[in-house]
Amino acid sequence: MAIALDLPRAKSRSARVLRVRRGVGVALTWATLIAALIFFLGPFFWIVTTSVKGNEDYFAYPPVWLPADASLKHYAGLFTRSSGARYFTNSLVVSTLSMLAALLVSLPTAYSIARWRFGGGFLSLVLLVLRMLPAIALIIPLYIMYKQLGLTNSYLGLVIVYTVLYVPFAVWLLVGFLRDFPVEIEEAALIDGCSRLRALVSVVVPIIAPGLAVVALFSFIATWNEFLFAIVLTGIETKTMMVLVTSFTSGGTDMFYGEASASVVLGVLPAFVVAFVLQRYLVKGLALGGTKG
Amino acid sequence: MRKLAILAVMLAVGALAAWFGLPVTEVKAARPYEGTTIRAVVNAEYVKYSLSLVEQAVYDKLGIKIETEVIPLDPYVAKTLLEFNSGKSPWDLVMFGPSFMPDYGRHLEPLEPWIQKLKLDFFMDDIPDVYKKLMLRHEGKIVSMPYDGDVHIMFWNKVAYERPDNKKKFKAKYGYELVPPKTWRQWDDQAEFFHGWGWDGTDRKLFGAGASYKGNNYSYYWWRPRFFSYGGQYFDAQMKPLINSPAGLRALEEMVKTIQYYPPGVMLFESEEPKTMLIKGEVPFLFSWTSTGKRVGNPKESVIVGKAGFGIVPGAEIDGKIVHRPDLTPGRSMAVSKYSQKKEATMKVLELISDPEQSLKIVMDPKTIMDPWRNSHFKSEKFRKAFPGADEYLDAILKTFPTVVPDPILPGASEYMRKLSFEITEALAKRKSPKEALDSAAAEWDKITDRRGRDKQKALWGEKMSEMKSVGIEYHPDWAAKAK
Amino acid sequence: MRIGALVLKRKSWEPAAFASPSLALIAIVIVFPLAYSFWLSFRNFDLAVGPDSEFVGVANYVEALVKDTRFLNSIWNTAIIIGPSLVLELLVGLGIALLLTRIGRGRPIITALLAIPAMVSPVMAAMTWRMMFGVKYGAINNLGRQLGVIDVYFDWFSSPLISIVAIVMVEVWHNTAFMTLVLLAGLQSIPQELYDAGKADGADGWRSFWYITLPLLKFTMVVGLMIRLIDLTKLFGLIFVLTFGGPGGATETVAFSTYLAGFNDFRMSYAAALSYVIVGGVLILTLVFMWIQRYREMRAA
Repeated sequence: MAIALDLPRAKSRSARVLRVRRGVGVALTWATLIAALIFFLGPFFWIVTTSVKGNEDYFAYPPVWLPADASLKHYAGLFTRSSGARYFTNSLVVSTLSMLAALLVSLPTAYSIARWRFGGGFLSLVLLVLRMLPAIALIIPLYIMYKQLGLTNSYLGLVIVYTVLYVPFAVWLLVGFLRDFPVEIEEAALIDGCSRLRALVSVVVPIIAPGLAVVALFSFIATWNEFLFAIVLTGIETKTMMVLVTSFTSGGTDMFYGEASASVVLGVLPAFVVAFVLQRYLVKGLALGGTKG
Repeated sequence: MRKLAILAVMLAVGALAAWFGLPVTEVKAARPYEGTTIRAVVNAEYVKYSLSLVEQAVYDKLGIKIETEVIPLDPYVAKTLLEFNSGKSPWDLVMFGPSFMPDYGRHLEPLEPWIQKLKLDFFMDDIPDVYKKLMLRHEGKIVSMPYDGDVHIMFWNKVAYERPDNKKKFKAKYGYELVPPKTWRQWDDQAEFFHGWGWDGTDRKLFGAGASYKGNNYSYYWWRPRFFSYGGQYFDAQMKPLINSPAGLRALEEMVKTIQYYPPGVMLFESEEPKTMLIKGEVPFLFSWTSTGKRVGNPKESVIVGKAGFGIVPGAEIDGKIVHRPDLTPGRSMAVSKYSQKKEATMKVLELISDPEQSLKIVMDPKTIMDPWRNSHFKSEKFRKAFPGADEYLDAILKTFPTVVPDPILPGASEYMRKLSFEITEALAKRKSPKEALDSAAAEWDKITDRRGRDKQKALWGEKMSEMKSVGIEYHPDWAAKAK
Repeated sequence: MRIGALVLKRKSWEPAAFASPSLALIAIVIVFPLAYSFWLSFRNFDLAVGPDSEFVGVANYVEALVKDTRFLNSIWNTAIIIGPSLVLELLVGLGIALLLTRIGRGRPIITALLAIPAMVSPVMAAMTWRMMFGVKYGAINNLGRQLGVIDVYFDWFSSPLISIVAIVMVEVWHNTAFMTLVLLAGLQSIPQELYDAGKADGADGWRSFWYITLPLLKFTMVVGLMIRLIDLTKLFGLIFVLTFGGPGGATETVAFSTYLAGFNDFRMSYAAALSYVIVGGVLILTLVFMWIQRYREMRAA
């Protein structure tokens, strides 16, 4: 916490010493933060440059950090030979559908809790229990059940799981948004003769739309990042980007470094977007498991 | 006026279309399965790449497109069997390791009825006995065709062995001539000798030897040739595991003692990393899959083209004779799934990718890591001249055939191998002593045998044991101590 | 929340009706499978053997807790990954959060940038670092050689100890942002007046941190640590891509060895039992954690 100095004293020697100390403090702060940025973002920089490197650059020593002739040929290869286009689409479709379904299901529930205190403090308990549950406990019975029902290798199967896993978190966030929402506007609509549901849809939704967007983006990212259910429940048609990345783990990452790094770049793209858009909500999001796979 | 112009253009376009269209319909008639797509499943990007080499031919001759799914090696057996065991599969063309035939066999479509029906020709006489025995049949019926003939042979960098300086230094230290190792003792001596300095005449720090020690699928293949040459065998007649016998112990102890002479990263090396080191001149010798040879001879990445030697894997000296027990690793076979809806099309594809010409294309390309498996591959002039030393290389493979050791081909083979591999890497990582590791492995093996039905396993093992005995592979409890 | 006439006007079935879709989904997709899995854990369902299974009582649980050295080993592995990770995440997260409070302009953007690693999938983080750890062409070894720190390739996965170090490093890289954000929020909620008052009494700099900041931050830290602890017990994707449990079994976590039992060995019942052992363990950990907290609060009162 910086100490404010009064100007008239600035000329004395001790004031100058203090100013230098403050300057050094600021410099150190920024230096450390930049070091932290390098540590946390450096790997992304490297993976992006690797994904556009040619063979000579990747296998070169002294190492080439910035390739001179960058090309997108690895992305092209990923999209054609390794069916990257299909997997990217799958991730997109599954995440979008799950996000929409989660919203659809969570909004009425959140409304119920916010307006009528449905279930008392039940919600926080459910959230905690779900956060504690290791996915592995769920995947085993789900796999067996899905096999019987023929839901493996289907969009529907994956979307159902993702929606349910995400609902408690979405409900929590929405309850917060709804509580901040002025009840008077709803009352006005109801007095005018709307049913509860219509009031919700035509009056509440448009106004808390930003909140809905926040929940939507979080659920998109969480389902995009999810791995365990994806790897067990998908097949050749429905594999997501997360599963694609694992196909490069065997055979050594050196032989197919181009496709491997390209698939990582595509896989982390949403994170970059969401981080910027959802800055204010990041704490809640991360805390309640909004972005984990 | 304008209407006339449009009409003229349309006529011209129509004429052109008709003109270009004619050849299309002609070729169409020759593609009997036009528009069909079949689904294949393979366990590595390389295999998918190898299929891409022949997909043009498959499309031109048959009109069939192949969609290939890659499931990584580690969960491959588990994932595919999980699908099959539930009574269906999304794949038509299935790649699998023939050592796991007891678990896969009943899900595969027998070939013979289709051979009759469609008059297919798989050129069965062009397959060496080694692969014929291993890769074709399940309970007597032919269900698959070889795709990748995996055996292990030894490769070395002639530069390391021919430099007079190296020869002098070695003779001085170890007392015998520096030649590519014929016994494990020599292998270990040379690994120690070559490690840590520039044996190629430069001042780089190079390594002693190459190997793949990753658990799950690799490490046990570098233990097995030692184990068997010291007289080991998988089980005795009562289905008691013999892997923790003195032979196994000696093999593992040697590996643990010498791991320091191998390149960093060896604990997670899969098949390609040690090969890369060999062809870049960083390890002087290596035993590994025969596909190494293709990479050795590929001038685009290898610095030892024309400077490499090929031979049989080392053995143990027993009573003056050297006993070699090279690995016959699973390799790969291709088969048609019993649950496929497109069996006829898939059979035709299988025939085409297995024929001498297409399969030669696949096994010759260095990027596919598929190995030769037809007699015609070994005799092919094109292959023998593909790179300097190619003929020596192919001959070395042929020399290896008589003494190869197969996997324990029983139900649950993958589990036996995985658990043993796991324990071997535990010992190599110095988390357990070799004795603890092998005893754990033996205990796990008993558990697997019980789960699969001890009597059934014993009977099946009895057959395999006598097969191996007929080529001279059996348990010798005294060899471990007297092997030199 | 204002309880107006609105609240009283509801039809009695409405609350339940509105909540019913999510309740139904949760019942079908979570509660039922969990119950099924619990039932399975007392049988010996094994996909490799066949579709039939028989009742075996607590045999699976006994095997898991007493005889399965590999699983017990994975419990130990999980513990030695969790410990250092929690400590590092707390320290680094706190450090960065403190630094962030000292800058005015640029704070939102820098915070967002630092948060990005936590928003990517563990699988992506693992793949990136796996390539960076690459023995011959990875960024880390290349950098090390270029700077002269190492002279020949260093293998991060040659020994169990170093593998754990590598995993902790990736995990810290991946999730420190969470702690940073939580602590930042906590720091920002401490009123400036407290610091001013403290300064008047002569406490500033280090002392103000120790006597003002830290006590007020304690609750936030505890909550953050508890959430991270629970998350870390589920560690799977990182291991799957980075080491697949190797070398040997040095980096197998509890979730990973359960996965192997179920999807490699096909022993579904046994895997179900293992997963309930994990759930039980996490429950106990959480209760212990909360109990310790309450105990310390009572003592401080």
